[in-house]
This record gives sequence, structure tokens and C-alpha cells, in this order.
Amino acid sequence: MKRLAITGLALILSLALAGCGGEGEQTATDQQPQPQAQSQDGESNPAENGKKILTIASGNDIVSFDLHNHNNTSTEAVHINMFNYLVKKGRNQEVLPDLATSWKQLDATTWEFKLREGVKFHNGDPFTAADVKYTLERVARDNTLLEYGNYKQIKEVKIMDDYTVHIITNGPQPVLLNRLSRLGSGMMPSKYIQEKGFDEFLKHPVGTGPYKFKEWKRDDRLILEKFDDYFGEKPKWDEVVFRSIPEDSTRVSELLTGGVDLAVNIPPTDLERIQQNEGTYVVQSPTQRVMQLTVRMTPGTPTADPKVREAIDLAIDKQAIVDNILAGGGTVTRTRVTPGNFGADPSLYGQSLYDPERAKQLLIEAGYPNGLELTLTSPSGRYLKDKETAELIQAMLGEVGIKVNLELVEWSKYNELYRGKKMKELFMISYANSMFDASLAFDRARSEIARGETDYNNPEVDKLLEEAETNLNTQEREKQYQQVQQIIANERPFIYLFQMSANYGASKRIQFEPRLDEMLPVDEITLKQ
Amino acid sequence: MKKYLIRSLLQVIPVLFLISLIVFVLVHVTGDPVTLMLSDTATDEDREILIQALGLDQPLYVQYFKFLGHLVQGDFGNSFRYQEPALPIVLERLPASFELAIASMVVATVIAIPFGILSATKRNSFLDIFVTGSAVLGKAMPSFWLGIMLILLFSVKLGLLPVSGEGTFAHLILPAITLGTGIAAEMTRLIRSSMLEILQQDYIRTARSKGLSERLVVYRHAFRNSLIPVITIMALQTSHLIGGTLITETVFSWPGMGNLLIQAVNQRDMSIVQASVFIVSILVIASNLLADLLYRILDPRIKYN
Repeated sequence: MKRLAITGLALILSLALAGCGGEGEQTATDQQPQPQAQSQDGESNPAENGKKILTIASGNDIVSFDLHNHNNTSTEAVHINMFNYLVKKGRNQEVLPDLATSWKQLDATTWEFKLREGVKFHNGDPFTAADVKYTLERVARDNTLLEYGNYKQIKEVKIMDDYTVHIITNGPQPVLLNRLSRLGSGMMPSKYIQEKGFDEFLKHPVGTGPYKFKEWKRDDRLILEKFDDYFGEKPKWDEVVFRSIPEDSTRVSELLTGGVDLAVNIPPTDLERIQQNEGTYVVQSPTQRVMQLTVRMTPGTPTADPKVREAIDLAIDKQAIVDNILAGGGTVTRTRVTPGNFGADPSLYGQSLYDPERAKQLLIEAGYPNGLELTLTSPSGRYLKDKETAELIQAMLGEVGIKVNLELVEWSKYNELYRGKKMKELFMISYANSMFDASLAFDRARSEIARGETDYNNPEVDKLLEEAETNLNTQEREKQYQQVQQIIANERPFIYLFQMSANYGASKRIQFEPRLDEMLPVDEITLKQ
Repeated sequence: MKKYLIRSLLQVIPVLFLISLIVFVLVHVTGDPVTLMLSDTATDEDREILIQALGLDQPLYVQYFKFLGHLVQGDFGNSFRYQEPALPIVLERLPASFELAIASMVVATVIAIPFGILSATKRNSFLDIFVTGSAVLGKAMPSFWLGIMLILLFSVKLGLLPVSGEGTFAHLILPAITLGTGIAAEMTRLIRSSMLEILQQDYIRTARSKGLSERLVVYRHAFRNSLIPVITIMALQTSHLIGGTLITETVFSWPGMGNLLIQAVNQRDMSIVQASVFIVSILVIASNLLADLLYRILDPRIKYN
């Protein structure tokens, strides 16, 4: 038995040694890969094998290649390099031709699109009207897809000939072009999917874009390479690598060491470090996200009194929040429809009404000379510095005599309260707007939807919103939305705080200008030389 | 021996069953995947449709039995996030995690054996105090902090090693040190105490009285025997290792199972969470069983029943 023990021990030891030896050997042979490791750091170096490689790091991996079954902006930011829309948005939100060369509205519910000829998918298939029909009808008809809600307005896509389609909508659709230029509208190869199946498409996605799929290692990296037969301008990079680095400090370190050329979602605390580092710089850019307080107006709550709501608005120094917590990464606003969106009212943007003395006065007028007590619910960890923002608001309201019970809750718990409409007087939330149209911004102001949440009920707002929804007269429609914004800024069912900025860190070897929609078309990123 | 093995394997079944129940309940009670999947502007109708499509409208026990039924066939359902079967996604990650785990074990062994022995043979010396002190420190240091500090020093300041990702041997060094440090601390203390105990045994005194050199006594007689508990502990450390990889893999964006699990928890990707926890459980059970067997082989005084 003892011999057995010794043999066993010897066996294990030798195994362990073999293990060490293996590692050791690896170290030896790695003298060669060592410089290679270096070269991987410097893989962004254009001189390397003469290949131009761009590396971008984000906080999370793309979700999927099912263009219709995600609603993730950062996933779309990558997809747009592989897939094209019928129409695309320019830098100033103007609608530009992409796979459609021209379009016109035939009647209230019919739109005609002429398609670009000679466009090829990455597998060589030509792009035709059949692909438009397949793509749009899939998302408009399958109600289990996450983007279904944004496309169910499309009733049918009729193929007129190979390069002409008619899109028929359920009722007038003033925002159809906006819908078709955003998430969920990337054109998919119908023939390839019918022949190979959808699972194969998910593994080896094929689009018409300037870059084609090369490799995807989940939660690590997605590699795209240039597509030589692209119909537009020749792709600028030979290869583009999207890396997923969830840990903020690691992402920043990768940027500082030159491991990546561009890093998104930089925490405000790291901005200075990046700016002061020799080879990197910071880019801040407005986004479509606006942070707001939603106010309960249910009779019986103190916030039902418009004076109290105004006092809350005046008591918050929004610029101070932006400067101190977000390191300048934001713009104060009194509306959710920020510039770049259809229907924006510029007179409410870039403004904030801070006047604590007047706020105190208003509270006295409202009958609260000794102050009052409110509950503010805020998510913790959902938005950039949400907890800190809520705490500062708590302190600011305290200054004018409003004692705030701050409820900081984790996002899924927060959502339970939110969906269940169980919030108390105030809650802090941020909404985005991927449609670039005011219509999306005021859903929750409609009396029907507001019931139980803000209990806001203004028949005039309801009427304006309803009319604007299907109004094909652009100028009139714009006026209607601006009117709604003025009313809301005045009645304050929502107190808007600031438009959030996106923080990027970039290597000095590249020239990068972010877009309002946070998309990352890599061909807009250029080498500085 | 064979009987013992069969009995242990049979005991695994109720354990796995229990794990499946706990994981299922925890995942379903703590979070709501639907909310995270829908956009901010989704209507309640969209929500209902999605809940139905995912089968989340059924009573919890029905969902559980369905889950169990599929589980027996090795099917954990589709990942919500990737819309693909969960198990292959998890298994795809295993090699990277194993690579890191083995490298950390090597780091730990290389540190722990010499320092453990030295510290025991030179008991109460300055070196001993230094080693035991460092072991306490190493054990107490949070691995995410250590990882970030290592990145700052070796990658950002000195520019010697890559920050994150997987690929070359150089990518492995920092994560392996991060993860190996905690294990090394534990192992050093264990080797030290086990050596101290053995050095007081009669047979060591006999060996010394025979006039054997101290070197021979320590390395030939004492160290070899002190390794027995160390090897079992190494196997038992698997669970610590897995806990450690969760954080270390995230810090270094190492594409292993720990990283996947963290992302899945954040996204409430139930199937992935369930599949990974299950795989981890099986690994822990297997390594414990292996440790048990090893121990019995190495120390014949232990009986099989």
C-alpha cells in the first residue's frame, strides 16, 4: 500500500513538473511570440505588415447578428459597418440615400423606393427588392422580435420590379424615413438565409456594407475586414477590431498603452488622465439621452401643486451637476427634444432656471413655510453617475427646505417599481430617442399612459400629440411639438435636467468625431498623417 | 474502492438536483430579464408578447419542471442574449478558463513550495515572519484591486505586458499572477503548518539521530509527506479558483467562463447563468471527489468506508 502511495505521489509530482516544464518550454518558445505580443499591442500600427487596422474598445460585446432582435445602441454602432439601410442619416440628421437612390410618397400610406443597382452582398448575391421585402416584413410581422414595436406600422412591402418597392403603412407615417434609417432596418440577404437557414446567418452574417465578417469571439472581440466589392467609397481600413472590455479601468489602460485606438464610455474621473497622457485625447459629444425627474401630480400629493413643482425645478442647480459630477459631460435643458431631433424647440435647450430664493418663496406661497418631505427614487448603477446625481439633488432640495428621502435601488428592482407605476413623488430616469423625432418623447405625457404614473392630464397636449402623430404637413407638425414642449416646460410633469454626453478616449494617431446617434461608422475615422 | 466510487457518484445526483432547484429559483426571483431586453419606449403590450414568447407567463413550478426535463437531455435552453443554445456557449469558454486556472496553480506552486518550506524550517526567524505576514496580506488583497494595480505598473507605467485579452503567453502572465497570489498565500500557510507538524514526528527525530544531513531530512522525509494534505487542498482550491476567475477574468477581459457568467448575470441571461453554474458545480464536485480519492491513495490509513 505504501508503495502505491509513493508511486501515486511520484506520478502526481511528475505531472506537476511536466506542467511546469510545459509552461517553461512555452516561455522559451515565447521569446519569439514575445515581440509578437508587442506587435499585437501595436497591431494598430499601420506599418505592421502594411495592414491598416483600427481597434475600438467598448464596455460590452455586440448582442447578436439578428438585426431585428436587439435594441442595443452599441450593437447597432457596430452593425452599421456591415449592413446598409435604405436611407441613412447624415451627420446633421438629414436623410441621405443609401441602398435606395430615391423615394417619394405616392399617397398617405404608400411610399415608393427606387433601389440602387449593382449592389452585392458579401457572399456575392445581388441586392434586390426581394431582400427589402424579406427584411422589413420579417420585423413587421413577427411579434416576438424586440424591434417589432417599431416596425409594426408597416403593413406590406410590394415588389414592383427588381429595383422598385412600395412600402404600404397602416395609416399615415410621417416618421417612416426615420424608422428606416435606424436600428432594425439593416438589409439582410433573403436568398442566403432561405438557402442556408437563419442560424447560419447568425454565425456567418452577410450584409452589403463596407466591412464583412471575419471572426467573432464572444465577450472578447469581433473582427471585420474590408469588402472589396462595396458599392460606395472604398473602405479605409483593412481590418477593424471591436473589443469588449467591461472593466472601465482596464479599457482606459488599454487606450493609454496603445492597445486600442478608440475607447467608448470613459468614466468622468478618467478624462483628465487621458487628456494629459501623451498619445491620447478626450472627445465629448452630446447624445440622445436626457436625464429627467418625473413628478407625480396625483391630487393629494404635495407635488400636485404647480408651485411646488416649480420650486423643485428652481432649487436644482443643473449646471453644477454637469460640471461637478459629469466633468462637464452634459448640457442643461428644459426639453427632451434636443437639437438634431425633428420638432426641437431651441429656446428650451441649453437653459436651466436656477433660483433657490424664488424656490423658497414659492414653497411659502404653496403653504409650506416649514418645508416639506418628498421621496425621490433613483436607479443606482444604471446611468453614468446616477447615484451621485441623485444625492446632489437631494442636497440641493434640502437647501430650500424640501427634505428628500432618497431611495436608491438596483435597476431590476427600479424597473419593477417603474413598470408597476409604484413610484412616489419623484423619480429620476433617462430616456433616449433613436427615432430622432419628437413623437417618441411625449408618450408618457398622454393622459392615458400617464395615469397612475404622473397622472398628468392636459387635453390640449393629448390633442396636439394625436394630431401630430399622423400629420404629414411637416411645418405644422413641428409647431405642434414645439407647443407641447412649451406646455410641459411650464407645467412640469417632467423636470428635465441635462442631456448626457458620451465620453470617448482616442489615440492621437486617429481623427475621430463622434455622432449624435453614437454610431461608429469606421470610415469616418481617419488616420492623422 | 469501486463500491466507494459508485456510492459517491450516486450521491452526486441529489446534489445536482438541489443545485438545479436553487439556481433556478435564485435566477427567477432576483431579476427580470424582460425589462432589460425591452427598450425604454416599449409598451406594455410589447412586454406581454415577449413574456409569452419566453414562456415566463407560466407558473414557476411548471417552468422549473420544463427546465428540469430539458436539463436531463443536456439542454439549458437558448441564451436570451445570443439566441443560441446556452450550453455550447458556456463550453466554448472552458478552455480559456482552464488555461488561466492551470497557469495560476503553477504560479501558486512556484511561490508556495519554497517559501512554505523555508518558513517552517526557519521558524520564528525574520523570514518566517515576513512569509506568514505576506501570506496574510496576499489572502486579504482583493483580486480586482491587485489586478488593476498590476496593469497600472506593468502595462501602463513600464509597458512590459499587454493590458487585457487573450492570445499570447504574455497575455497570460498578469491574470495568472493575480489569481495565483491568493492561492499561493493559502498554500504557503498550509505547507508551513504541515511541515511544522511533520518535523516534530518521531521518524524525523530518528532520521536526524541516524546522522542524516538536515537537507536530506527536510526534503526527503519531511517535505514529501507534508505534500499529502497540500495536494488535496490543491484540488479543493478549485472552487476558490472559480470564484477568483469571475473577477480576474472581468478585470483582464479574459474570454473565459467567469467573464461570461458576470455578463450573463448583468443581462439576466438566465440560461447562460444556469448552464455556467451547473458546469461549475460539476467541476467542483468532480474535483472534490478526485481529492477524496487521492487522499485515500496517498494516505493508506484512511479507510474507504
